[in-house]
Amino acid sequence: MASTACFMIVSRNDIPIYEAEVGTAPKKEDAAHQHQFILHAALDIVQDLAWTTSAMFLKSIDRFNDLVVSVYVTAGHTRLMLLHDSRNDDGIKSFFQEVHELYIKILLNPLYLPGSRITSSHFDTKVRALARKYL
Amino acid sequence: MEPDVSIETSCMIRVAVLPIGSIAIPLFRDYTSMLVRHYTVSLSSISSFYTEHQKSPFAHQPWDSGSLRFKYMVGGSPASPWEDFQSNRKIFAVIGICHCPSSPDLHSVMDQFVTACKSYSSSVVQRCFAFCPGDSQLEDESFKGSNLILFPPADRQTQEFHLQTMMQDIAASLLMKFEKSVLQAESGGTILKTPLDSQASLSSEEVIKAKKRRLGRAQKTIGDYCLLAGSPVDANAHYTTSLELARLTGDFFWYAGAMEGSVCALLIDQMGQRDQVLDDEIKDRYNSVILHYRKSFIQDNAQRVSPLSFELEATLKLARYLCRKELAKEVVGLLTTAADGAKSLIDASDRLILFIEIARLFGTLGYHRKAAFFSRQVAQLYLQQENRLAAISSMQVLAMTTQAYRVQSRASTDHALYQESGQNHADGGKAHHNWIVSLFESQWSSIQMVVLREILLSAVRGGDPLTAWSAAARLLRSYYPLITPAGQNGLASALSNASERLPSGTRCADPALPFIRLHSFPLHSSQQDIVKRNHGRDDWWAGSAPSGPFIYTPFSKGEPSQSSKQELIWVVGEAVQVFVELANPCGFDLKVDSIYLSVHSGNFDAFPISVSLPPNSSKVIALSGIPTEVGSLKIPGCIVHCFGVITEHYFKDVDNLLVGAAQGLVLSDPFRCCGSPKLKNVTVPNISVVPPLPLLISRVVGSDGAIILCEGEIREVQISVANAGTVPIEQAHISLSGKNQDSIQLIVYETLKSSLPLKPGAEVRIPVTLKAWQLGFLDPAAAPGKNISGSTGRQVKDGCSPVLLIHYAGPLTYAGGDASTNGSIPPGRRLVVPLNICVSQGLSLMKARLLSMEIPAHVGEDHSKVQVETSSAEGSPRTDRFMKIDPYRGSWGLCFLELELSNPTDVVFEIGVSVNMEDSNTEENPEYDYPKTRIDRDYTARVLIPLEHFKLPVLDGTFLVKESQMNGTATRKSSFSEKSSKAELNASIKKLISKIKVRWQSGRNNSGELNIKDAIQAALQSSMMDVLLPDPLTFGFRCGNNTSQDFADLNLDEGSNIQGARKGSVRAHDTTPVEVLVRNNTKEMIRVSLSITCRDIAGENCVEGDKATVLWAGVLNGVTMEVPPLKEYRHSFSLYFLVPGEYTLLAAAVIDDANEMLRARARATSCDESIFCRGPPFHIRVNGTM
Repeated sequence: MASTACFMIVSRNDIPIYEAEVGTAPKKEDAAHQHQFILHAALDIVQDLAWTTSAMFLKSIDRFNDLVVSVYVTAGHTRLMLLHDSRNDDGIKSFFQEVHELYIKILLNPLYLPGSRITSSHFDTKVRALARKYL
Repeated sequence: MEPDVSIETSCMIRVAVLPIGSIAIPLFRDYTSMLVRHYTVSLSSISSFYTEHQKSPFAHQPWDSGSLRFKYMVGGSPASPWEDFQSNRKIFAVIGICHCPSSPDLHSVMDQFVTACKSYSSSVVQRCFAFCPGDSQLEDESFKGSNLILFPPADRQTQEFHLQTMMQDIAASLLMKFEKSVLQAESGGTILKTPLDSQASLSSEEVIKAKKRRLGRAQKTIGDYCLLAGSPVDANAHYTTSLELARLTGDFFWYAGAMEGSVCALLIDQMGQRDQVLDDEIKDRYNSVILHYRKSFIQDNAQRVSPLSFELEATLKLARYLCRKELAKEVVGLLTTAADGAKSLIDASDRLILFIEIARLFGTLGYHRKAAFFSRQVAQLYLQQENRLAAISSMQVLAMTTQAYRVQSRASTDHALYQESGQNHADGGKAHHNWIVSLFESQWSSIQMVVLREILLSAVRGGDPLTAWSAAARLLRSYYPLITPAGQNGLASALSNASERLPSGTRCADPALPFIRLHSFPLHSSQQDIVKRNHGRDDWWAGSAPSGPFIYTPFSKGEPSQSSKQELIWVVGEAVQVFVELANPCGFDLKVDSIYLSVHSGNFDAFPISVSLPPNSSKVIALSGIPTEVGSLKIPGCIVHCFGVITEHYFKDVDNLLVGAAQGLVLSDPFRCCGSPKLKNVTVPNISVVPPLPLLISRVVGSDGAIILCEGEIREVQISVANAGTVPIEQAHISLSGKNQDSIQLIVYETLKSSLPLKPGAEVRIPVTLKAWQLGFLDPAAAPGKNISGSTGRQVKDGCSPVLLIHYAGPLTYAGGDASTNGSIPPGRRLVVPLNICVSQGLSLMKARLLSMEIPAHVGEDHSKVQVETSSAEGSPRTDRFMKIDPYRGSWGLCFLELELSNPTDVVFEIGVSVNMEDSNTEENPEYDYPKTRIDRDYTARVLIPLEHFKLPVLDGTFLVKESQMNGTATRKSSFSEKSSKAELNASIKKLISKIKVRWQSGRNNSGELNIKDAIQAALQSSMMDVLLPDPLTFGFRCGNNTSQDFADLNLDEGSNIQGARKGSVRAHDTTPVEVLVRNNTKEMIRVSLSITCRDIAGENCVEGDKATVLWAGVLNGVTMEVPPLKEYRHSFSLYFLVPGEYTLLAAAVIDDANEMLRARARATSCDESIFCRGPPFHIRVNGTM
């Protein structure tokens, strides 16, 4: 498992709707902010890159220092973004696919307004479990 | 590393621009801006200044198309250790700028300039430009031919031209110097070194190596000079040579440098024309440059110096060259690589420059988030420097990132655009939603907070209190739900600390707390209602308000804008109020020093108020102001003075925030978390200000609040209306509205009408007569328990009182008639005068009942005569007059209405009853007026009201039909005439009742009337027929002969009889002729069988039987007769009284073949029952014979 990883779901309106620090490294407030900054900046690159390929998994599209950003863009242009320091493309791809399924389940909830924050604790638990499994 | 590098940097001649002498910074900037415009000087323009001393080494110089490029280093720059490697890093020229008026001594200026030039050893041309010299300075010939150049005062254009000429001169001089340098370099044996080369004593091997490399390096340097001289073809030739040599000698660093130069030469040669082939060429070459710089990395001196910065510079140069949208991917790759190199950079300032350049390039590419990210890195590097200037730089850099992170200060956003978008959003639903979503795009709250916090930190460190205030305000306002109460307190103190260092009255574009939303626009108070005037109608106010019973009418659907945007009219000079709701969702006490409405149109004077909001609270306050000028008026928000700074709070912001909160896009609704109820979105109405209108103010004279009346009390009050405006009132109309309108008995409209036009300040009193209504019996306010305490409390709800509506208007044109009103008619106004009437309980009616009795009449009395006598009897007590002969019945009848009244109040009432007989003279001459009855408090008293003369003359069947119908024995024929007759009956009852007036008086000036109509009606209902309708037959007796003459004689006889005190007496032992009169009161012939009896005082029948004391002649029993309608029938007989005394004559008749009407009148239960009609008893006094 990666020592540093920050997972984030960004809605099509560029609003973060889910965020989780899934790394094993001890949590530091500043670092968490830095991760978000990197992910935020990477959106610029995703925005261009997403239209150049038909694949949903865009692999690692950006990096800053040792941290790499991998992105998975769903058909609704919701972006699953992972900041990580390991290079385990297959694991990340599986992780994204499974989270995508979870996300679809969230979307199917009639009480969930697309584009709003995902507050489901079940979702959170599952995502963290997937992170432990694949990353 | 150097900032702002590009491929073309290699061909730019650096010129240091220095301020000389004392010169104001703005002036220096001004002169500099004139100078830096000349960043290229074409070769063709300098040819006149150029003299070829020897053969030029620049053989292929393009004199017609080429140019020299300059890079002005304003303020100068330190010498670079890499000057040998890249000749363009040298400062070739120094230009001093001097402002003569501020430094008069030109000699000292020259000295200073010379001193300044000393630090630029590489400079070959020095000039000092002295602007605006005085006359004496111009005349000073000693500077002729020196480096001091005076710019005589002239207009700007002339000065610029002068400057251009000077620059051309400098360019020519530089060109000549370059030629000299090239010639020196070709021949000379100077060793070109870089810091990269070993500084230690050269080993023999290295000396040999250096000698080998010298030639290649010299060729590169010559190439550099060629580039600077604007001759790319020459440069390329030298670079090609240099590349060959460097490759042979393995001098990778210089190889890369020469390659860079060659790319620059290529680019210059292309004269700005770009195509795919060129791009590929340049990419290839630069990749090779980067590769060779990397190759030149030597592990030995990596701690001291590294070619890494050149590698990164080359990367940046390439990135800048490629920086286009379509090549974004490659540029991003280059920049990411460059960013990776930052870690290896030794010098912190190099890292700073690197990040700045990366941020700029990302910005150029349109990647604002990336640019913001690297800008923030720059800001952090600045912040690490821990000094004030760096903190300011950090703050400024962060300010640039705010747009990408969407935390920008409102000062930086275009305000017009902001308003514009606000306008658009009102348009449609779908667009509206998108717009709202776009408002909350990129709500990366955690990083936004970090950015704002960093701005706050850097502003505090850099000593910029306004920026600090603004950042703290944004932080607090937008992210209060994410900040702990302690953090909120910290921000609050940061705000106040910042404001302490600001001058008072500082404005800031970013609002802090509180949140302000529009609560409501109170419509005009009822006193100031404005009514659109409907021109050309007499009732001009009609038609302006929605007419008809429906609030919504489909026909008025015409203007949809009308429904969404309400119109509000304000009047110049009249104070108005707007309600706003403030919320403080934070955990500290918020003290708003002043808050007032913000109006940009300048025609409104707003009154500030101060508010204090406890933690987590909201408050609705009224903000008032006075419109001062005619025109339209917009209230976009409020101006708030809070935390020492004045800010403007827009309602729209909060509205958007609330919409966002409703959609789950924003963190929290500040109003809901303060416990304020959800409020519908208030639309700001179009407010127009109109010129002054008249203003009526009303008050009830002599009463502060409510008019307290007892039930039934009648009082005249005066309502004073005064014109408090500045325009006379020309039209006025009073109408009534509300409940209990009938309690207003009289309004003297003429008083108001006659006083028109009502001048400003004039007052008129309108008398209004009020009559208090009855309290409902079920009205809880009238309950006795409440009544005790109710004398102070309001007994009647406000809604019960009637309301006077006064519509009034000024003249038909505005005073002054200015064009702004464009001929519209000024509106009228409506004054609502609520008559606040409190009805307290008065006398209450307990019971009303009918009392009736009959007193037998004396035989032979003529009622007409009695009438005459009684009316002439002056001294007789008035109560005598209660008794009246019933003209149709023939007996004395007493019929009273008894009213039982109780007085539950604590005042004394006096009751007076009057009955008006004639309608004509009701008031002056009541028929009857009884002594006043006094009812003390808590007592009950009875009042008798006589009822007489109410009988109808004819017993008409029509009245009875309804009776029979009610009895259930009715025939089914009910015609219209019957109904009308019934109505007539009812009308006559009403008439009867209305004649009876029960007036009361209490104290000195309280008087009123009891409303007892219902009670009387109830009392009379059962015996209505008896009171109103005559019997079908009337019986009467007369003594005397059959002729009326005899009768009259008898009467006269009796009248003259002194002893016979009583009238109608007969003598005993005498034959007395008696006549019985039977009158038919119906309109039909009645056949009757009449019988007459006589009774003595004991009631014994004294005509028949054994002990008969009265003898008789004629027929007494079973007299059959037919009485024609409305006629009398007489039957005569004679009586002989044996014993004197009182006797009673009784007549009775059985009606044969009684019709329906008679049965109904007799209340017969079955149709075969015989109708028995009994006359009243008649007394007859029989005197003795003496």
